[in-house]
Amino acid sequence: MKPAAFAYCAPRTLEEAISLLDEHGYDAKLLAGGQSLVPLMNLRLARPTVLVDINRVDGLAFVESGDEVVRIGAMTRHHTVATSSEIRGASPLLSHAAGHIGYRAIRHRGTLGGSLAHADPASELPCVAVTQSATVRVTGSAGERTIRADELFLAEMTTTLAPDEIVTSVAIPRIRPDEGWGFREFVRKVGDFAVVMAAALLRVADGRVASARLGLGGAEGTPRRVTEAEQALVGSVLGAETIEKAARVAAEAVEPTSDIHGSADYRRRLVHAMTRRALQDALGRLEAGHG
Amino acid sequence: MSYRKQPKLLGARVRRVEDPRFLMGKARYIEDIELPGMIDAAFVRSPFAHAEILSVDVSEALAVPGVIAALHGQDLSGRVKPTVCDAISDGWQSSEFPALAIDRVRYAGEAVAVIAADNRYLAEDGAALVDVDYEPLTPLASVEAAQEPTAPLLHKGWKGNYFYRDRHAGGDPDLAFSNADGVLEIELATRRHGGIPMEGRGCIAVYDPIERVLTLWSSTQIPHLIRSELANCLGLPENRVRVIAPDVGGGFGPKSHLNPEEVAACVLAMDTRRPVRWIEDRREHMLACFHSREHYHKARVAYSEEGEVLALSAEVTVDCGAYSVYPWTAALDPGMSLFIMPGPYRIRNFRCETLAVATNKCPYGAYRGVARSANCLTIERAMDAVADALGMDPVEVRKRNLIRDEEFPYTSVSGFVYDDTSLIESLDKVCAEADYEGMRERQRLAREKGRLLGIGVVTFIEQTAPAVDEGVPINFRYDSALVRLDPSGSATVQLGTHSHGQGHETTIAQIVADQLTIPLDQIRILYGDTQQTAQGIGTFASRTAVVAGGAAHIASGQVRDMLAERGAHLMEAAAEDVELVDGRVTVRGSGTRGLSVAEVARATYYHPELFPFGWSPLLEAAGTFDAGHGTYANASQIVLVEVDPETGAVEILEYHIVEDCGRMINPTIVEGQIHGGVAQGIGGAFFEELIYDEQGQLLTTSFMDYLIPGPTELPDFRISHLETPSPTSPNGIKGVGEGGAVAPYAIMAAAVQDAIRPIGNVFVNELPLTPERVLGFVDRAAGRTDREARRSG
Amino acid sequence: MDDVLRQGVEIRLTVNGRKHREVVEPRLLLADFLRQRLGLTGTHLGCEQGVCGSCTVVVDGETMRSCLLFAAQMDGSGVETIEGLADDPDRLHPVQQAFWDHHGLQCGFCTPGMVLTAKALLEENPEPSGAEIREALAGNICRCTGYVFIVDSVKAAAETMASNAPRGESP
Repeated sequence: MKPAAFAYCAPRTLEEAISLLDEHGYDAKLLAGGQSLVPLMNLRLARPTVLVDINRVDGLAFVESGDEVVRIGAMTRHHTVATSSEIRGASPLLSHAAGHIGYRAIRHRGTLGGSLAHADPASELPCVAVTQSATVRVTGSAGERTIRADELFLAEMTTTLAPDEIVTSVAIPRIRPDEGWGFREFVRKVGDFAVVMAAALLRVADGRVASARLGLGGAEGTPRRVTEAEQALVGSVLGAETIEKAARVAAEAVEPTSDIHGSADYRRRLVHAMTRRALQDALGRLEAGHG
Repeated sequence: MSYRKQPKLLGARVRRVEDPRFLMGKARYIEDIELPGMIDAAFVRSPFAHAEILSVDVSEALAVPGVIAALHGQDLSGRVKPTVCDAISDGWQSSEFPALAIDRVRYAGEAVAVIAADNRYLAEDGAALVDVDYEPLTPLASVEAAQEPTAPLLHKGWKGNYFYRDRHAGGDPDLAFSNADGVLEIELATRRHGGIPMEGRGCIAVYDPIERVLTLWSSTQIPHLIRSELANCLGLPENRVRVIAPDVGGGFGPKSHLNPEEVAACVLAMDTRRPVRWIEDRREHMLACFHSREHYHKARVAYSEEGEVLALSAEVTVDCGAYSVYPWTAALDPGMSLFIMPGPYRIRNFRCETLAVATNKCPYGAYRGVARSANCLTIERAMDAVADALGMDPVEVRKRNLIRDEEFPYTSVSGFVYDDTSLIESLDKVCAEADYEGMRERQRLAREKGRLLGIGVVTFIEQTAPAVDEGVPINFRYDSALVRLDPSGSATVQLGTHSHGQGHETTIAQIVADQLTIPLDQIRILYGDTQQTAQGIGTFASRTAVVAGGAAHIASGQVRDMLAERGAHLMEAAAEDVELVDGRVTVRGSGTRGLSVAEVARATYYHPELFPFGWSPLLEAAGTFDAGHGTYANASQIVLVEVDPETGAVEILEYHIVEDCGRMINPTIVEGQIHGGVAQGIGGAFFEELIYDEQGQLLTTSFMDYLIPGPTELPDFRISHLETPSPTSPNGIKGVGEGGAVAPYAIMAAAVQDAIRPIGNVFVNELPLTPERVLGFVDRAAGRTDREARRSG
Repeated sequence: MDDVLRQGVEIRLTVNGRKHREVVEPRLLLADFLRQRLGLTGTHLGCEQGVCGSCTVVVDGETMRSCLLFAAQMDGSGVETIEGLADDPDRLHPVQQAFWDHHGLQCGFCTPGMVLTAKALLEENPEPSGAEIREALAGNICRCTGYVFIVDSVKAAAETMASNAPRGESP
């Protein structure tokens, strides 16, 4: 299990990196944290001939707090996402989910942008990004554009990024003080890939659910919001019954994948359980008075 | 002559003497050895489970700069003998296992060709360019597929796709079944998994063409046995073959085989005249390091109204994969099942039929607790089933059937002579340690709150350092030790066994130190090099403390007697009047200081003139210990688990163990062995499964797909000891290496079944208990059909 | 193309306090660089997929998997391996000493990664609970011990380090 040979470039600027990607097209691969890419290279399932390492590109690792969003540089490591007080203050949901990624040594190296671009359906950050309607800023030879998270993920391990585009930052909307959040995932062992995860974000006004966001990961080829379940929640009085109903709606709405980690039927049942628990957590946080 | 009767070190919690090199990163595992001119090998492995090889073209690989050599099956044909490892039985069918597949591959991952290059990166580059033309054949990816009447035969001259079939009967099972109050039938399955040490396999082969000596460094548990078969395959005399096992990063059974890759590496070394290293990577390990544990059992159990098991009739089928492996043969698991299934119970009527099926899967080898875990599962689940049928407590039903203390030595229905154990005492003790009654009460209270708590109980007896005299190509009854005292009075002990985590550099030294009454740091334990140790067998089957410990005890006792005799002579005393205490030979009752061991040793080696002519100036002795058919350890365990009925996840809340491995040399090391064994058993009970698809493709080739429990998946095990000395072995020692791994399969099946009892009754009979399988049992308990289960999601 | 692919990358890095200047093939994994080029064979490869933790080293102060990093990326970095902790059995790091005293190892293959991970935990959290220790070591697989004595070892090391620490300072 040793990687095939490749040429190594470590550009210092984004422009350099993009021109390298532009030049080599599909033969090139971007190396961010490498915690998903390098295992594939070791197995020779990925065999880029040019590896463009963006760890030395300036300006890609930052946290910028705004009124509406927190903007996080793409090369920000998972460990920082999990522990930065600025990020935790803006989206405790994102921080919490980042703490579930792999193991500590993996989180020290893996990056937010890398995770989104890798588009593993069982990854935590894509699920949260979709749930929170994060926007992803990318730069390529054609210039800069902003993509809504739910438009980024095309299929399992596939995004709408062009080969020469680099994720540069992600804007996560701030979770408001009157919102409650919950995140649950089912893993067979700690640090292993989640079989199914659910992220929930609820706001209650005048005793009724004013807005609801429910995202699922691991169940299907891409993370997605379950609008059917969200609609079932909005306008209702939040309680065990409405939560159970929403969880059932979510379980019926998904078309789960099937593999050695879980059959489609099993995943559907996990969607039910994880959704209910994530919603209960969100309710609990609302009741405790902190989002 | 006498010596200290009270051992100082036997039973002491001595810190391990071997640890600093491991803690400091200075151990020497196979991959750490660098030799001048060494090249690295990478194997080309079959992508098909079953195929004809039409052609192999290595020319493109050889063109890669840095690639030195290539070999494929045809190159070895006629030059290297394939491994033929046969059980001696009328029901046996012989087969050949070539080092590199010649005209046919029989499992996905089988080595077809090998490339050697300046480094492993280049070797893999070369291997990727080897062009093999395959003609796929029907893959036989399961026991059922292999037994289809239309299935192609896997080996030449076979009558059906099996290596071995056999039967055994004792008592009169038919009569017992017809007279029984009740009869129940159960079926059980344990899925394929394996030992999976953290260090994979690996070897370095070096050929010296002048001395005509082949040296193989191998990450192995059995250097001497490897030497014998390697010499046989290559047609070399054994005195020209040297096998060295350096530090080994975990064994557990998977490293107790001759590997085809090792034979190929030796040929490459002989051809290239360069040291050739092969380091197995994890993917290769999952594909091609011999698997274990795939048992399918059917059992009928006859019982009385009082809960006595009157008869047991079983069919055991094992999926043994594609080849019979050296030195175990494919009869290893199925053959052992014929005798061990009745376990610790007074079952007087027993019949067992066994079948070793050949399939297109990785060959089947040894793994910690060979055949025991599956047989423990069957007999313990049978006990639970009888308890359920009669509404009895599982502890009570066991007590009614366990062999009683006064019955030892007890000849089992299958012919084993069990010597002293503490079966009922261990069960009583574990019930007390776990507060079994209190645990049942806590379970009842939890159930009232809707929580699903389950309790499992298991008792087992285990033949440690086992050997059989019939049917096997090699009888493993003994091992050896050579103890040598040097002129400074320090001792060197050479063992025929190997230590790869068990701590023998400490425990064997504890035994020798007590005999010679010298400090532990005056003793060095050497092992692992066939050229520098006595002939030995190796480390497996919970045998080393018994057989190597016994041999070291005997040999060092002989050296002790020589010391006393020579010391007596120097002091002009009668030999029977001297004693050896704290490293000094003294005349008993004289009040004098006498002579130190070093003084006697120095005089013996350097002043032969002080002794009568003809006395040997060497203070050394070789000892062997033959443990016969082995010693009998026993244990009882109780577990408390909680099942999440929505996800199928199982949490282990408490795990209580009472182990009796006879006299303990070092209780801390004993506990470490138990912890590790139970952890592996829990792996097999919940996490570990080598999954093949219908085409015979292994789907679990990485640690992302094959899950090994980590610290967050395992509880704090609580261990108590009993010490019933073995009447067979010196110091009363029994083996303990495997015991931990025997019970978790049965205990977890029982506990999960008990947990979901409030939902309904179901018989948990298939492992590993993945969350999805647990939910399947929950559904069956609830009487839900598959369709309903889906809807409830 | 082969020439381009194998074109070496020059790196300067510090390993266990010693400065090195080396030219490496781009695909050379950090673990292989440490083992083969520098002879630091205490870093072990157990899976090459980042799961088992045997190859854990400390890069610029943080634990990382040396099987998932290329040596070429290490220019300017400081790397600490197990060999950097002690050069004599009489001067072991408290974590090493505790593993020795509490039978925290058997075959020893996972031990270097385990020790470095435990050391990093204790530097951040001097008084971890049993659950916190298990959580911190979740990415390090040991196949021998069942982890009980490893957890005991880390607890003991925490006590030693706390009592060794000068008053008024965090250990």
